[in-house]
Amino acid sequence: MGVAFEARGRVVQAISDVSLDIVDGEFVALLGPTGCGKSTLLRVVSDLQPPSNGTVMVRGATAADARRRNDFGFVFQEAALMPWRTAQDNVRLPLEVVDFPAADREARCVELLRRVGMEQFRHAYPNELSGGMKQRVAIVRALSWNPSILLMDEPFSALDELTKNQLQDDLLDIWSREKKTILFVTHNISEAVYLADRVVVMSAHPGRIKAVIDVQLPRPRIADMRETLEFVAQMRAVREALLT
Amino acid sequence: MSDAARKNQVTTRDVRLAFARFGPPALILAALLLAWELAVRMLGIAAWLLPAPSAIAARFFRTQDLGYHTGLTLLEAGLGFAISAVLGIALAAGIANSRFLERGIFPYVIVSNAVPIIAIVPLLNIWLGFGIATKVVIAAIITFFPIVTNTTRGLKAADERILDLMHSINATRRQIFFKVQLPSALPFVFAGFKIAASLALVGAVVGEFYGADRGLGYLVITAATQLRTDLLFVAIFVLAAIGILTFTLFGWLERRALRGADAVDRRR
Repeated sequence: MGVAFEARGRVVQAISDVSLDIVDGEFVALLGPTGCGKSTLLRVVSDLQPPSNGTVMVRGATAADARRRNDFGFVFQEAALMPWRTAQDNVRLPLEVVDFPAADREARCVELLRRVGMEQFRHAYPNELSGGMKQRVAIVRALSWNPSILLMDEPFSALDELTKNQLQDDLLDIWSREKKTILFVTHNISEAVYLADRVVVMSAHPGRIKAVIDVQLPRPRIADMRETLEFVAQMRAVREALLT
Repeated sequence: MSDAARKNQVTTRDVRLAFARFGPPALILAALLLAWELAVRMLGIAAWLLPAPSAIAARFFRTQDLGYHTGLTLLEAGLGFAISAVLGIALAAGIANSRFLERGIFPYVIVSNAVPIIAIVPLLNIWLGFGIATKVVIAAIITFFPIVTNTTRGLKAADERILDLMHSINATRRQIFFKVQLPSALPFVFAGFKIAASLALVGAVVGEFYGADRGLGYLVITAATQLRTDLLFVAIFVLAAIGILTFTLFGWLERRALRGADAVDRRR
């Protein structure tokens, strides 16, 4: 699959010859430098943007059909909440769009917010929440209608270290219970290794897949693993793939 | 004492805060009026040239049909504003969502602003006569530009990621407009409304300058031609008061509509 843009009369190849199979329920990290087309890849997978050649198939259907049956939940780098809606009303936004019974919406939002420890903040506006809290709201917003695939575009990169680690654990917890397929874009090697089953290492100009590395760490992953030799060895393998 | 009662109680702190805010401008105003009054009396300035504030106040209370003229001008400005707001927001919605309309109509919206409204008034008099309709149309025309441009800008300022999110769950254009674009445009819409509100008043008054027989604009023109300067000042002060009130009203509406939202968080 490839993606090309035409910019000022010049055709820029953003992604070239990318081929990737993802198993249902798998956690895949896309890792690479800025400009390697990681975010573009997410947009192509979710049919927000067409590929210039090649095809995307999602759970037995085209990307467009998958989008129409609401398969994709998006989480962005900054929470991208609506400032005029409370936390709860932000979570409810997708429920108002997809086919979700109106009577059950409020209960669903409350339950989701409770799951990430945000229940008492459900009537707070985004400008009253910290960065980590906002991102929690954004994550449960993407889960609200129970899509099968989560597309996450550097969701934790703007957070401080402690909050980031906490949210990573929360995400793994959600993932193991809900059996979602997750496509997680990051430029942080440790994050990719800690979270993913497979790390897809990409290069820039044009975006290509350099290597796909299976992460040989047991589940469930816990914070202490970060200090183990196995973890460091995995990180080294990924870093070498990134640099060569 | 219950909490609610305590909340409603005016404390000395509230009084101090209110004085800190309104005290200085009130003092300056009182000093200016006093200086004006004294200057007129001591220098013996003719009333047709500059009436004393006390004379203007007296004229204010003696002008019986002032309420009628004010009400009429407010009606013209308000109707014109309302028509413009409805049409302007609808057009802005079209421009923000259609390349064709943006390229095809937006240039003319901008050109329309370049035509001096005063030059069009006689034409409107020929077409619509000298009644209320002409003034309403003038107020609508003059307010159209700020409402359309501000609303268009606001609709286009919607967060790209939230738009992506809406597209990724297959939202309809209608859902995207009412749930994302319009609410995120509100601060811009209100900015446009604030400008438009004062312009609507200008439009109504200018319309009344030309061959009207009622309204504050008519009052201004007749008072001036008859050298009834005290009445002229009364009309000017009423217009100023309306301007201040509408500005305050829209500021209040804006704050109400934007609870929770602030300028900093909008871009995050």
